[in-house]
Amino acid sequence: MVIKKGKFTIEGLENVQINIGKVTSSDEDEEPQGPTPAPDIHGLRDWDMRLLKRYEPVYSPICDLCCYCTYGKCDLTGNKEGACGINMEAHQAREAMLRTLTGAAAHAGHGRHLLNHLIKRFGADHPIDVGPTNIKAPVTQTVLGIKPETIGDFVPVLDYVEEQITQLLATTHIGQEGSAIDFESKALHAGMVDHVGMEVSDIIQISCLDMPKSQADAPLVDVGMGIIDSTKPVLLCIGHNVAAVTYIMDYMEEHDLFDKIELAAICCTAHDMTRVNPKAKVVGSLSKQLKYIRSGIPDLIIVDEQCIRADMMRETSKLHIPVIATNDKVMYGLPDRSKDDIDDIIRDLASGDQPGVLLFDYEKVGELAPKLVMKMAPIRKEKGITALPSDEEFKKLASSCTQCGACVIGCPQGLEIDKAMEAAVEGNLTLFEELHDKCIGCGRCDVECPKNIPVLDVIEKASQKVIREEKGKLRTGRGQVGDAEIREEGVNLVMGTTPGVVAIIGCPNYPDGSRDVYEIAEEMLQRSYIVVTSGCSAMDIGMFKDDEGKTLYERYGGGFLKGNLLNTGSCVSNAHITATTIKVAAIFARRDISGNFEEIADYVMNRIGAVGLAWGGSTQKALSIGTGCNRLGIPVVLGPHGPKYRRAYPGKAYDKDKWNLLDARDGSVHNVEPAPEHLLISAENKAELMPLLAKLCFRPGDNNLGRMIKLTHYIELSEKYLGVLPDDWHIYVRSEADLPLAKREELLKILEEEHGWKIDWDRKKILEGPARMVDISFQPTNVPRLCKGAVE
Amino acid sequence: MAAKELDTTRNAVPFDKANIPGPKMAKAVKAVVAGKFISKAKRPLLIVGTAAGDDGVIEIVRSMSEKGIPVAATGSSLKRLKEEGIDATYVNLHALVSYLKDPDWKGFDGKGGYDTTIFLGHTYYYASQLMSTLKNFTKIKVISIDRHYHPNAGQSFGNLKPDDFIRALDVVVAQL
Repeated sequence: MVIKKGKFTIEGLENVQINIGKVTSSDEDEEPQGPTPAPDIHGLRDWDMRLLKRYEPVYSPICDLCCYCTYGKCDLTGNKEGACGINMEAHQAREAMLRTLTGAAAHAGHGRHLLNHLIKRFGADHPIDVGPTNIKAPVTQTVLGIKPETIGDFVPVLDYVEEQITQLLATTHIGQEGSAIDFESKALHAGMVDHVGMEVSDIIQISCLDMPKSQADAPLVDVGMGIIDSTKPVLLCIGHNVAAVTYIMDYMEEHDLFDKIELAAICCTAHDMTRVNPKAKVVGSLSKQLKYIRSGIPDLIIVDEQCIRADMMRETSKLHIPVIATNDKVMYGLPDRSKDDIDDIIRDLASGDQPGVLLFDYEKVGELAPKLVMKMAPIRKEKGITALPSDEEFKKLASSCTQCGACVIGCPQGLEIDKAMEAAVEGNLTLFEELHDKCIGCGRCDVECPKNIPVLDVIEKASQKVIREEKGKLRTGRGQVGDAEIREEGVNLVMGTTPGVVAIIGCPNYPDGSRDVYEIAEEMLQRSYIVVTSGCSAMDIGMFKDDEGKTLYERYGGGFLKGNLLNTGSCVSNAHITATTIKVAAIFARRDISGNFEEIADYVMNRIGAVGLAWGGSTQKALSIGTGCNRLGIPVVLGPHGPKYRRAYPGKAYDKDKWNLLDARDGSVHNVEPAPEHLLISAENKAELMPLLAKLCFRPGDNNLGRMIKLTHYIELSEKYLGVLPDDWHIYVRSEADLPLAKREELLKILEEEHGWKIDWDRKKILEGPARMVDISFQPTNVPRLCKGAVE
Repeated sequence: MAAKELDTTRNAVPFDKANIPGPKMAKAVKAVVAGKFISKAKRPLLIVGTAAGDDGVIEIVRSMSEKGIPVAATGSSLKRLKEEGIDATYVNLHALVSYLKDPDWKGFDGKGGYDTTIFLGHTYYYASQLMSTLKNFTKIKVISIDRHYHPNAGQSFGNLKPDDFIRALDVVVAQL
């Protein structure tokens, strides 16, 4: 018998009513609860301090002032204190924490909206179904110690997340926290609860909306600005929350409209739309947003939440593109027409009397959007609305440029737009075509131009040829990694024979165009790393093709296996990346995970060679995702814009005292190689990044074969991209068996001649030199209480 | 006709227009002053980024290296430096500023930290942010001899045209 929450009466006892509230599991085989179920702000502080002692925070202020209160502005330059007593270091830690918290709140807010909506639509008892697994919600279970079975079980989970966010936000008020290191601990806490919020968001939508469930061969869908058939009405959705859009897709299916309307999206709503129905199309990442609106192609735009441009209404009004806002996080001052008749709303939008409306009744959105877009397309065509300049206008605009360079100074990437303008006047568009991929589509160049040239329009006009060719393939988000995959691959990952997991996540604020993430993924896949991706990066990876016209998603499998490329899905699907490492600890290493965050993070940090890469990270969410990875012991690399997040956690390989680990077998202290060397670091360009990624996959728990493979890749990538043998390769050598086979003799010679190691040349064995020898039974841990016989 | 006098103090506004950190911004200096300043440093460190491999700039790196200034090669600059036979040590710039902040760091030669850092050939916004670490949390002097004005340095050139930039670097080297 299944006991459910609710009210019951018993036949014959009509005066008796039984109320059943929360139902808790009574399974006898329930795994033991760890020491920190649902930790509050200080619950994992000891773990944070262990991390922060090794990876001391380094701050890079983007502003030297504090303007938090009316005491200020205060000048904190040089780590001075402000009027409230806070110094620059603590203020920067607070700023970084606040950004992390903002990201966590965005995901949690998304999750709460979806949860309320889906409970209303499907009922709180709707079962969780994420595919074949015994650990349905790994992050939730590890942090809160509970195992949700229905979507209603996530209500207290989000209650917890929201409470933590509120308590953390409270600490930023004047007169509260004043310690940088404790702000860091709080930031790590915010990052961790962010992953809980993301997990809730994605699990409930996977379960209710029939998205792929741990499906390695999830369908391939079209991606790119060139894939849209603009002869049809084009309905464009932008944002992250698929709730309203599902009604549009249902309506379109019911009325056979997918052949008549182009349904496409930008940003994470695109991921989730295609997970629900692969007939939808993906225009691309966040950086395509303004470009695509400016193209004038969309006939109707539906927005939900997160990563939507603030200037949407100004841009769309100019082009007579109506906007329907469906989520109260983005309302643009528009009138709420939720209670109005659909035909009245269509009339007002089609006529242009209203540039947009709020519509929170999703049944109405579902019916109205397809009807409206079919009405708008001929109206807009008849009006002759053209967005980009004509050939003649283009020449005129380019000629009016005075090469003053204001656009270059205004451009966040410092792109040499002035030179491209000059070349365009001569009829050479190649500079613009190259610039198009590097341009993040922010439009700051337009604002800066003293001649009022619509610079972004000029860039897009000049790049029409390459835009038409922007046609790629994306494997739709698969969701979690299944238990069977973990069983098969876990041993390779922990032993190091699969050299590592590289998780390419985050936004498209790349330093040198979107091609970078494609090339990074390709190189690591060819080297048998598992490449996991999500969000905007996942789209950009699919935008490029090899000589045979195939994208990486077509060339590589989508399973959790070496040399495979997994797209987990949208932003909130990032939780499945951290969840995968938790599953390795649970399934492969048989660690108890419930309420046991510290032990699991300790295991992940010392055993699992996973590294995150937010190459174009720009949003607060990207920071919170990365910070959540950090608390779980996963290092993260940022692109060169990364220091604008204000802090990083670099390691100091030269400081030997920071690299002591305990052996859990007896509590003995061992000085080990710096692995992973950094917890949060940036790189200037792709060439610097590649060997760094390989290096950050080293773990103290690697066996000889694994270390040899990882060292091979580290050395090869350094030689390929930096032109040298890395100067620290030898510190990762514990015995001759760690050395790359093809270079063993050469490297032994270097060890002897340059580092003074003693080599037995007859047996080609290292006799003296390494900081430590290999011990295959070594159980590395940073946590004293996990050692045998420990009392803590 | 005599070449127009080079003034590297002009146009001293952040190359990224909104990059106004606060009341303390770099003093715009003439190339001669920059050169003399570097020559007086007891423990200088030349920190070069990937653009230091550009033609015209690489020769300056070589000259400064030959004058005995150690070179930290950040980004992917090391490849070109090695090809040119310039002695340099690879280091990640983000990691380097954390080392420079550490009073116990012994430097690349084991002889201790550095009193003056010279920035050349960097991605603008990247270097700017990491200079702000040195500005706010160390006593190390930061001088930018890059093409664009860096407000987070202690001293910097203004924004220069490419030709003037190379001329300015020649003037700097001449003072060493």
